Amino acid sequence: MICWMFPGQPIAFADTPSDDPEFKKTALLCQKTTGFNPLEIHTSASALSQSVRLQLLGSCVSLHRANQLTRQGSGADLLAEHSMGIYPALSASGSIDNATALALTWRIGVSVAEMGLQREYALGCVIGLTCEVLETIAANNGIYIANHNTSRHFLLAGEREKVDAALVEAMASGAFSISSFPCDAPLHTPLIEEITGKLQRIVAEYNFLEPRIPLVEHIAQTTLTAATIPRFLVEELCRPVYWETTYCFLRSHGVTRFQEVGVGSALSKFNRWIDSES
Amino acid sequence: MIEDLIPKVKQMIIDSLRIEGMSPDEIETDAPLFGEGLGLDSIDALQLVVAMEKEFGVVVPDAATGSTVFASVRSMAGYIEEHRK
Repeated sequence: MICWMFPGQPIAFADTPSDDPEFKKTALLCQKTTGFNPLEIHTSASALSQSVRLQLLGSCVSLHRANQLTRQGSGADLLAEHSMGIYPALSASGSIDNATALALTWRIGVSVAEMGLQREYALGCVIGLTCEVLETIAANNGIYIANHNTSRHFLLAGEREKVDAALVEAMASGAFSISSFPCDAPLHTPLIEEITGKLQRIVAEYNFLEPRIPLVEHIAQTTLTAATIPRFLVEELCRPVYWETTYCFLRSHGVTRFQEVGVGSALSKFNRWIDSES
Repeated sequence: MIEDLIPKVKQMIIDSLRIEGMSPDEIETDAPLFGEGLGLDSIDALQLVVAMEKEFGVVVPDAATGSTVFASVRSMAGYIEEHRK
């Protein structure tokens, strides 16, 4: 059984398949839908924050890769997603079209980015500590674990100064490595709850069809339906991503091959780590 | 001897990082492993730390040490040679 995995937002601008005419079509669709052209990442839609442009770039590459695999006759039996990878995953499932996936990426990205006008937020990547240790550090500093990627790979989110303090504490507690990235908003934390009304109104404007390919979500590992998708799209921004649990769930339900559909190979590397512990 | 360790380190990299379609001979001994070269990242680094401890009993305590150790296959072999019991 083959599972396509849709990764979340890339942390940096990546090379795009700019010579591929099919990618150009996706890029033009993105420009028409959102104003951002991923073939002109440094000059296009400069009013959008870097995070939103990275989210759109990630969605474009995932949509293109999924289309490419489909054209090659390489289908998926199941779909999984991580964070903002949900939008292209929904498109691959047949629940929405590519334009809607890009519109949702853009509109939700812009909405959460407005939080960054009030406060400075950051993400903190911590490698090497256990969840228990990191939970204590996060609580000590008033921030949250936003991504549980493996037993030793986590992403923290919260106000920038608090994330920085937590990273210092993590290093002192024996973390192998730490790094921080500025971001618009503390995605996957309860801090997003202050804008859920606005997010619900955006999501309510779209129609979601029943997925033709089962799509397993990253919170409770349920298979999304047309009825549960709108609620999930808001809830997932307020709750952590549980990738390790999702991967183990998929493996235990018969998935034998995982194909990463998007920028980079972070999910495949997380899977490799999880496999090495089992 | 470091030279004896080099092919073993290359094989360990291939095995622990599950690099498909590459033989030890294809990894350059003195090329950078991170960024350019093999293009490894911090996720790979921790995987290599665990593999080095398992196979050679050598501990890389943190990323700062790792940035020196994982500069190349030769530097990894040198660190193993120096620290293994």
